[in-house]
Amino acid sequence: MYSLKAQTMASSKVTSKSAMPSLGVLPAQRRRHIRPFSFHIGPVALCIVCVLLISLMAVLYLSQVGQVVTANHQLQDIRNEQAALERQNQDLVDTVAQEQSPAYIVGQVQKMGLKPVDSKNLWILQVPHLQEIDKSNQSIQP
Amino acid sequence: MSAELRRARSRQMVIFLLGCGGMVILLGRLYYWQVWLSGPLTLLANSEHIQNQILSAPRGLIYDAEGHLLATNVVRDDVYITPLQFSSDFADNYPAELSTEVHALHQVLPSVSEDQLNQDFGLSLQAVRVAQQINPGQSQRLRDLHLPDTFLEPQTWRIYPGGDLASQIIGYTQGDKGIYGIEAKYNTILAGKAGSFTAETDLSGNPLTVGVSSKQDPVKGTDLTLTVDSFMQYFVQSALQNAVIQLEATSGTVIVLDSHSGAVVAMTGYPTFDPNHYSDFADKKGCVGSEDVYLNPALFCDYEPGSTMKSVTMAAALEQHVITPDTSINDPGYLNFSDGTPTVHNWDDESYGKETMTQVLQHSANVGAATVASWLGPDRFYPYLQRFGFGQPIGLFNPEDSGGYRTNTSVGWTKSDLTRQAFGQSMTASPLQMARAYQAIANGGVMMQPYILASTNDNGHIVTMKPQMLRRVISTDTAKTLTSMLVSTAEYNDISLPNYSLAIKTGTATTQGLSMDQTEASVAGFLPASNPQFVILVKIDRPQKTIYGGTAAGPLWKAIAQQLVLHYSIPADQQVGTQ
Repeated sequence: MYSLKAQTMASSKVTSKSAMPSLGVLPAQRRRHIRPFSFHIGPVALCIVCVLLISLMAVLYLSQVGQVVTANHQLQDIRNEQAALERQNQDLVDTVAQEQSPAYIVGQVQKMGLKPVDSKNLWILQVPHLQEIDKSNQSIQP
Repeated sequence: MSAELRRARSRQMVIFLLGCGGMVILLGRLYYWQVWLSGPLTLLANSEHIQNQILSAPRGLIYDAEGHLLATNVVRDDVYITPLQFSSDFADNYPAELSTEVHALHQVLPSVSEDQLNQDFGLSLQAVRVAQQINPGQSQRLRDLHLPDTFLEPQTWRIYPGGDLASQIIGYTQGDKGIYGIEAKYNTILAGKAGSFTAETDLSGNPLTVGVSSKQDPVKGTDLTLTVDSFMQYFVQSALQNAVIQLEATSGTVIVLDSHSGAVVAMTGYPTFDPNHYSDFADKKGCVGSEDVYLNPALFCDYEPGSTMKSVTMAAALEQHVITPDTSINDPGYLNFSDGTPTVHNWDDESYGKETMTQVLQHSANVGAATVASWLGPDRFYPYLQRFGFGQPIGLFNPEDSGGYRTNTSVGWTKSDLTRQAFGQSMTASPLQMARAYQAIANGGVMMQPYILASTNDNGHIVTMKPQMLRRVISTDTAKTLTSMLVSTAEYNDISLPNYSLAIKTGTATTQGLSMDQTEASVAGFLPASNPQFVILVKIDRPQKTIYGGTAAGPLWKAIAQQLVLHYSIPADQQVGTQ
């Protein structure tokens, strides 16, 4: 379309030669500046190019959609995996909580044959002026 | 125009009109579908490929003071079958396929009988739930089997890992709603805020990334941390259960408070329930068999406190300088009043002769307490009952029974009420009210608001609760004097812990209309007396083996005190080996 319009313009310029100077007399450098990609193309070729371009765009679009669908499936798989992991995590937290509950610990202790300490034999003493051990000091580490 | 031509024209016209009529009908039908029913049909079409989901918010977790989980959420599957689909899928070989399917399901779900499954498959329903809340192993086995026309529906469940641990504090949930206890009181913040998700879906119902979608994330519920110590709670629960069974009592209550802050360290009743299976306990009763087992008896089971009330009477009299610990009276075992007030007798009808106020507490003499109340009079006695918080709700959580008593401004009040209230009769109080009164004495006369919620964590925004002072009830000096009297009472009643000073008062309350051996035996007190750390109240309802506070509730009080000393490494306040 661009070249057809250019041709029409060129012919109209010939009839009004007195008003404007012909393109033919313009310097080549200035012509290139005005229409840098000036070329001639026929209507059939133009149609073919358009069809090709549209086809190419359709292929690109379908390719994109395909990729999106694939990504969607991957995303869905990841979401499912995340849900399963969250569920496992909840189960593990529950298991830990159950095994930390006093009733469970007492049950396990009794299974091991341990008995409660006789409180009469225990003394709690408060030692005054105690200082915290410097853990960085290697010489007093066990 | 010939007749034949006219007929032809007429035929053409008829055909034309028929055609027009057909077109009108088609257009009308088109209008009906495209315009008239446009709205509902669009919705119907959208529902085929657009998914609207409510994203439920995870309920907030509940922790104890040490960070151990008391309530959490897990996802468990329900198992559904589709009987109609199954019968159409296997129309040719239905009996054999049904037998295989039922057998496979029964292998994984042994609790569901094959007869029940056969019956379910025979129903003319789209879907039937055959099992609820199956364990993760069963879910995996069913997934691996790929059974036709059987599917799993995940559901979120509230789980209490400790079973019945602190169940009367925590309560339970029904669906998304908290019932009783912490679950009910803080339901709004625990529940969080549900989100929503709208998206186009594929044939399997999976949301598509392409197309219009919108998502509003759910807001997780607030996590709560309680002041309750799981270890002490477990010890107290187990010890109370053993005591109630051993004494052949009907029920019991124990409260342990931090004497400085008023924080609830342990609080339990027996019988209790497992919130994971709460419906199994629907017909069980607590609080002397009168209330649902789900209610917390520390707040809801008010009683006549009996002689534990004498400490409050003494506090009022000491504070107003009506008595000193050495003020003495003559106790013949009964007290007559000249104004017609019914005679007051000592619980054992014992005559103690001359006794000091300290001895009144030691002997738990009703005559002494009634005498002090008559010295005080209603105008100086009732303000102290009010200061100590009797008859006023505590507000820890609902439901709560705040008890009550008649005052000299009440209709029907007599002086008999005053004298009997002095030793804990003719009035009612909840166990927590009584524990709070002793907390005030232990805390140098300053009453703190009992509280059980230590902190909240709203998605990273942590708010820590601070102990709240209610009021000064008595002066520090009065509290010290009364404490020394209670220490003497503990020693007299032989409730002792080697190298620790205890301050206690026993109580044996009877109920009007019941025989004298149907008592509510209690002990209230704190330790160590020189620097009180914990307040303990033990109440045993209707013990049969022994009926008195000192003998029925005393051993349990002592065992709890001993465990507190060990668990919190409380240093001895008496010289080692001197007691």
